[in-house]
Amino acid sequence: MPIKAMTQEWMDAYKAAIQADPEYKSIAKDWEGSVSLVVNPDPARNVPEPIYLFMDYWHGDVGDFVVCDKEKAESAKFVMTGDYARWKQVAYKELDATKALLQGKLKMKGDLPYVVRNIKTVNKVIDLLGKVDTLWPDDDHQ
Amino acid sequence: MAGGYAGKFLRVNLTEGSWSDFTLDHDTLKRFIGGSCLAAKLFLDQYPLDADPLSPENPLMIMTGPMVGSGFPGTSRFSVCARSPQTGIWAESACGGTFGPELKRTGYDGVVIEGRSQDPVTLTIHDSGVRISDASSLWGRDIYEATDTLKAGDKSAKVLAIGPAGENLARIAAIGNDKGHFSGRAGLGALMGSKNLKAVVVRGTSAKAAKADDAGFKAAMKTAMQEIKDSALAEGLHMMGSDANMDLGMVTGDVPVKNWTSGGEFDLASNLSGPTMREKYLTKAHACTNCPIACKRVVKVDDGPFATAEGPGPEYETCAVFGTMMMNPDLTAVIKANELCNRYGMDTISCGSAVALAMELYEKGEITKDRLGGLDLSWGNMDAVLELVRQTAYREGFGDILADGAVHAARRLGGSAMDAVVHVKGLEAPMHDPRGFHGMGLAYMMSNRGACHLQHFVLATEQGMASWPQLFDMKDDYEGTTSVGKAWLVYNSENYGILANSLSICHYVAYSIRPETLRDAFNAITGFGFDFAELLSTGMRDWTLKRGFNNLLGISKKDDILPKRIMTALEEGGAAGSVPDTDLLLKEYYALRGLDERGFPKEDVLVRLGLNELKERLY
Ligand code: SF4
Repeated sequence: MPIKAMTQEWMDAYKAAIQADPEYKSIAKDWEGSVSLVVNPDPARNVPEPIYLFMDYWHGDVGDFVVCDKEKAESAKFVMTGDYARWKQVAYKELDATKALLQGKLKMKGDLPYVVRNIKTVNKVIDLLGKVDTLWPDDDHQ
Repeated sequence: MAGGYAGKFLRVNLTEGSWSDFTLDHDTLKRFIGGSCLAAKLFLDQYPLDADPLSPENPLMIMTGPMVGSGFPGTSRFSVCARSPQTGIWAESACGGTFGPELKRTGYDGVVIEGRSQDPVTLTIHDSGVRISDASSLWGRDIYEATDTLKAGDKSAKVLAIGPAGENLARIAAIGNDKGHFSGRAGLGALMGSKNLKAVVVRGTSAKAAKADDAGFKAAMKTAMQEIKDSALAEGLHMMGSDANMDLGMVTGDVPVKNWTSGGEFDLASNLSGPTMREKYLTKAHACTNCPIACKRVVKVDDGPFATAEGPGPEYETCAVFGTMMMNPDLTAVIKANELCNRYGMDTISCGSAVALAMELYEKGEITKDRLGGLDLSWGNMDAVLELVRQTAYREGFGDILADGAVHAARRLGGSAMDAVVHVKGLEAPMHDPRGFHGMGLAYMMSNRGACHLQHFVLATEQGMASWPQLFDMKDDYEGTTSVGKAWLVYNSENYGILANSLSICHYVAYSIRPETLRDAFNAITGFGFDFAELLSTGMRDWTLKRGFNNLLGISKKDDILPKRIMTALEEGGAAGSVPDTDLLLKEYYALRGLDERGFPKEDVLVRLGLNELKERLY
């Protein structure tokens, strides 16, 4: 049964997917720090308000994975912002997140060299996003 | 006179010790713009193609473009062009730094150097005059020493110099501008050495090229600065230099490992990467004239066997060729190798590729320790590598075999050597593996100076650093390990990217700004009023002109190939199991480019591009 994207239930499922992955722990062993995703509103696609998602990663473990407010999102070590449609493309792997960043389709606040150094962790986490059976706000069958 | 041009060129004859000015008409400038494109046009019109590349008849051309000196970001560049001493075909090597804008300030758009001096000389171009002076006391000095000496009297002077490698006619010799910037590829330093020309010094104080539309230029400039400020690519380059590519490239299969035989060496890459350089050895970021990105590294290694005084740091290409290609995890050894190549004046890609070849042959037992004069050239033994680098510059011992590059070395060494060289048309490939990015493979096959990542924007478009659907039908995200759709991508990325070398703008800046901004700045400077179609058509003319140049030298379809090693799949890493489909790539590309079955531009293509004289020579 697909889970509504960007809800707490969806965040829980995403966290579970990461925890269940056999490779994640070793790939992400060096990663320290929280990441938040900011989804810009897109009323035409049923995203009327901005959505803030906060995720805490720590040396191969995961902590808080919550839908949050703007303030909490902005407190993360890395804040990535983009339009809803871009995030969906990233989740479906139609658009690589690094490419989206370089092309200005996603914006990031945070230590870029750290992200580059840990690119395998970033790729793994995005990969696992695709493991969550998701119902997106603009999916036809909603 | 079109805007942006100083209005005259300098022709120097070193045999006679004479010089004179010449001009080009508006139509020629509009069609061939500047930089390497204008150089190719001049070469074809005025010089014999069949002269030995190291003979006095091969001219050395140093050309800027109309945007140079304008103050627009990234327009510090100039191209050094000639027939290549290394490959025998068209050679161009663009360089950033300080020389281009300074040459423009002397009132010249370019310099063509003919003949050969009897004795070592320096050519000085000042806006008050030209001078050819004795350089015997500089001969034998490395580039850093020669540059310091030549700038001693006037710190604002800008220097182009060769080192011992150029003097010794090593066909992989480079030309250095103010120590940190190099016209590296295709052996143009050897041509300079063959002319007994140690250095060119420029100092301009007054000349300023007028722009066609000052207000339009200011607006484009403001937009460009904002776009660069907003660009994550520009931010990454500023923070990590071009070596930002190392970690990601290892994941995607871009980075060659162990002389192109392996992949997936993530720890190795991490040791050699931009973030590591930044954390441990970077003292500051440095910029070419008028560049807000400042991607250049200044580094220092305080202690250890490879301690290096503060100076220009290695680019990604150097970190790969003296790092992953040699199974060397020590970035300090790369920094030292970079310094040696800079001082001796050698292209790091060619030098490192030749040494990596020798390491492979040593492992296979095809080169013995005896032949190496006692050097143990095991993978990762950087003491031996650095000694071999020195020998190469001075043509001593085994270095004499490597001094002309990996292809010449393989011919001399025989055995399995040629199968272990990755080159196209005699030029060693840069550090981007076509098995990870098939479009790059096609670009290597079709680049006019041989395997090259700088005659086009394929690196940016195929790897997703930039997306320009407003220019041509392209996707935001290409899968690297497929050949489908890549001919179209390469063809268009060439037509746009090759312009960078005639406009003389840095690729990184061009990747970071929108094509609209570049077009608007170009038009505001020149007054040419080009739309995108005209810009791309200028790129087509440029590519076709140089292809024709090479066709006249015997290049044909048989030369548009990838080497055996690249056509052998890797077992590990991001490119594992993948090789480019060269038949598909070439078939589609030939159709787009209008090449006939011999690999010559078709007559109607030449006519459409206004290359009628070339048509007469080819048909
Ligand atoms: S981006 Fe780097 S290479 Fe390009 S002009 Fe700026 S400093 Fe020079």
